[in-house]
Amino acid sequence: MAEPALAALDQVASLLGLSEKSAITAHGQIRLSVPLQELPQKAQRLARDGGARLASVIATDERRKNGVFGLRCVFSLDRFGLFVTLEAEVPGAEPGYPSITPGVPAAHAFERENWEFFGLVPAGHPDFKNLLLHEDWPRGLYPLRKDSSQGTRPPRASGQSFHFQRVEGAGVFEIPVGPVHAGIIEPGHFRFSVAGEPIINLEIRLGYVHRGIEKLAEGMDPAAAAGLAERVCGDAAFAHALAYCQAVESLAGAAAPPRAQALRTVFAEMERLYNHLGDIAGIATDVGFAFGAAHMALLREKVLQQNRALAGHRLLKGVAAPGGILKDITAGQSSDLSSFLRRLSEEYAAVERIYLGTDSLMDRAEGAGVLPRQTAADLGGVGPAARACGVDLDLRRDHPYGMYGELDFQVPLRQEGDVAARMLVKMAEFSQSVSIIEQALERLPQGPVMTPVGRLPAGAALGWAESSRGEILDWLEIGREGRIERLKIKSPSFSNWPLLAWAVRDNIVPDFPLINKSFNLSYSGNDR
Amino acid sequence: MINFAAASAAQPLALILLAPLINGCVKKLKAVLQNRRGASVLQPYWDILKSFRKEEAISETTSWIFRAVPYAVFGATAAACFLVPVAAAAAPFGFAGDLITLVYLLALPRFFTALGGLDAGSAFGGMGSSREVMIASMAEPALIMALFTVGVETGTTQIDAAARILSQGGWTAFSPGAALAFAALFLVLLAECGRLPVDNPATHLELTMVHEAMLLEYSGRSLALIEWASMIKLTLFLTLLANLFLPWGIALEAEAAPLALGVLVYGVKIAALLAVLAVAETSTAKLRLFRVPDFLGAAFVLALLGLLSQGVLRLGL
Repeated sequence: MAEPALAALDQVASLLGLSEKSAITAHGQIRLSVPLQELPQKAQRLARDGGARLASVIATDERRKNGVFGLRCVFSLDRFGLFVTLEAEVPGAEPGYPSITPGVPAAHAFERENWEFFGLVPAGHPDFKNLLLHEDWPRGLYPLRKDSSQGTRPPRASGQSFHFQRVEGAGVFEIPVGPVHAGIIEPGHFRFSVAGEPIINLEIRLGYVHRGIEKLAEGMDPAAAAGLAERVCGDAAFAHALAYCQAVESLAGAAAPPRAQALRTVFAEMERLYNHLGDIAGIATDVGFAFGAAHMALLREKVLQQNRALAGHRLLKGVAAPGGILKDITAGQSSDLSSFLRRLSEEYAAVERIYLGTDSLMDRAEGAGVLPRQTAADLGGVGPAARACGVDLDLRRDHPYGMYGELDFQVPLRQEGDVAARMLVKMAEFSQSVSIIEQALERLPQGPVMTPVGRLPAGAALGWAESSRGEILDWLEIGREGRIERLKIKSPSFSNWPLLAWAVRDNIVPDFPLINKSFNLSYSGNDR
Repeated sequence: MINFAAASAAQPLALILLAPLINGCVKKLKAVLQNRRGASVLQPYWDILKSFRKEEAISETTSWIFRAVPYAVFGATAAACFLVPVAAAAAPFGFAGDLITLVYLLALPRFFTALGGLDAGSAFGGMGSSREVMIASMAEPALIMALFTVGVETGTTQIDAAARILSQGGWTAFSPGAALAFAALFLVLLAECGRLPVDNPATHLELTMVHEAMLLEYSGRSLALIEWASMIKLTLFLTLLANLFLPWGIALEAEAAPLALGVLVYGVKIAALLAVLAVAETSTAKLRLFRVPDFLGAAFVLALLGLLSQGVLRLGL
């Protein structure tokens, strides 16, 4: 075990008052079993005093094995580059446990989700209600339990209601928006409470594109499920596939060959490039600055076409697979990509100057949708949205994977937390991504791009990747037959949607689309 | 000898029929400025035709007002066309109204559109109406001031007479007050016609809409009439800018040559104004809603300065 890991283990064990013996370290993570009743207090100590960040909460149905539900809280110790998992058992009959949300607010959505899908009741949860399943879903049917089969077509329930948070007072109105919108975007319902134009409260209701991907994964051949993982979110297809593949490789104890690691880094950054260009274009579209938007969108299209030339797919689907990648590039393609990036950087710099020089655009972006640093940190925000308000985390640097550990790059950080800061962070990341790809191409090792993974042993492992929106964290458990027992996918959008509701407070209604666009969260990634 | 009355009667009809083309031209120009190919300049005609042919869905919660709005809006806007000279300095119904009538004929559609937005009871319609009325309450004084500057300069509120007097005045008709009023009227045009930076005519974001938000419940023939009326309104404002501030070349008598020249000059002036509009809309982002009062405040001050300087120069106040 590496030196920092030992130091971290020491620290965590003394913090939680546990003996080191109760810890299992495997697959780059520390796993600690804790009694269920002590879970909230231990989680709070870890988060508050240990500086750990709650990254995911995973429930599993183990009633057939030992009559209990498993509950795992995955924390990230970003400074040590380690994940710490607190594991507890929830009784199989009348499953309930003390909520950890009061001490660790980032757990709120996870606990609501685990109630809907497993029936685990978090006692003392401050906002206990449905998250993804709607009023027509029958109560008492928990789809991720093992006794609920994949083919279940539940009857439509009626008579249930959902209570939006109510704001009362003279002149306070509610504006319901969606789930069907005027533009061609994904469905989501937004309930604004406003006094005139200023927004007092916003409640966001998602779940309209829940496809049951985690349920579908159960029983699948782990080699085939990469194709399922990349369908979680279309514009993060490669990052999702990568996170999943790394979980498989971690379990198998088989690392992808160096050339595959380098090319994965290249493709992951190409994905970030087109997403960031699209996001920056979206800011201009939403403030009606069509000139800037048209030029950014053109650059995004060029990256997509380059992706197709490189990998045969504009959105890089079908490229990553457990054990490596399915698509090698030739020396000619590599030099084409280098010259493409040089042209792209020049063209991008010109358009960026237009953005920063257009006062009417910057005036809209500056000061709009300010997200306080503490809110982002408390709610577990990730990615550019968190980095734009001073929360310094990036899996590529903190938990290096692929070739990132060998490369030289910066993690852009800003403190303002407004729309402009989120845009500027993405602008700075654009240049970093170009530099990362150039470095990876320069050092591109020779050799195979695929290593056989073989049959997976039973066990569980984490896999992660930093997508353009932030942290993707997959928890993969393989059963005794070598098939997937449970796949829990935590997308960055799941972490960041709650931030949006806070960022729009005290802003005016017509600024909401702009603030929303500056986060540009995925509905399907959140709903899965 | 051409019948002057017939020639002048053709003018409002031309305005009404050419309005979609002029809107198509703005869209085309904006597309070209953004390096896009853009739709044909005739597209607005097809859009209106399409809406006319479509079935109309009317919310059950609406009253008669909702159904009356499209006709009131189109009727009032079309009536305003009869007061404005286009290629010849004559307005067929000039005897029936002047600049003040014009301002009210433009206010009437707005009043009815706002009512229509509220009537269906949807959240967006109410938001649109409230924003529209807020903007109008500041755009209207600036509009009146700008038009009165011309009135003071020419000593008449008859629009065709004013255009004739200014045109006969030659270059001496150009005054600093008129330049200020021209600028003010251009800013008012942006606000009144729902153009950037006040409103974005191309947006799909229902929460940011002003004019479009009030129309969300309309469909079919009603939508076609209201949209057509908005196109006419833009054409009307451009024509006012062209003929009250740059009147040179307008036909003063009913001869074939001056009329042909008048038509040609009108086309050139409108094209130039369209180019300015397209560039202005392309190079700027939409204002934050609460900055719109500042923007219209600037228009009002410009118009006020124009009026005062005109007063000082002409009346020796």
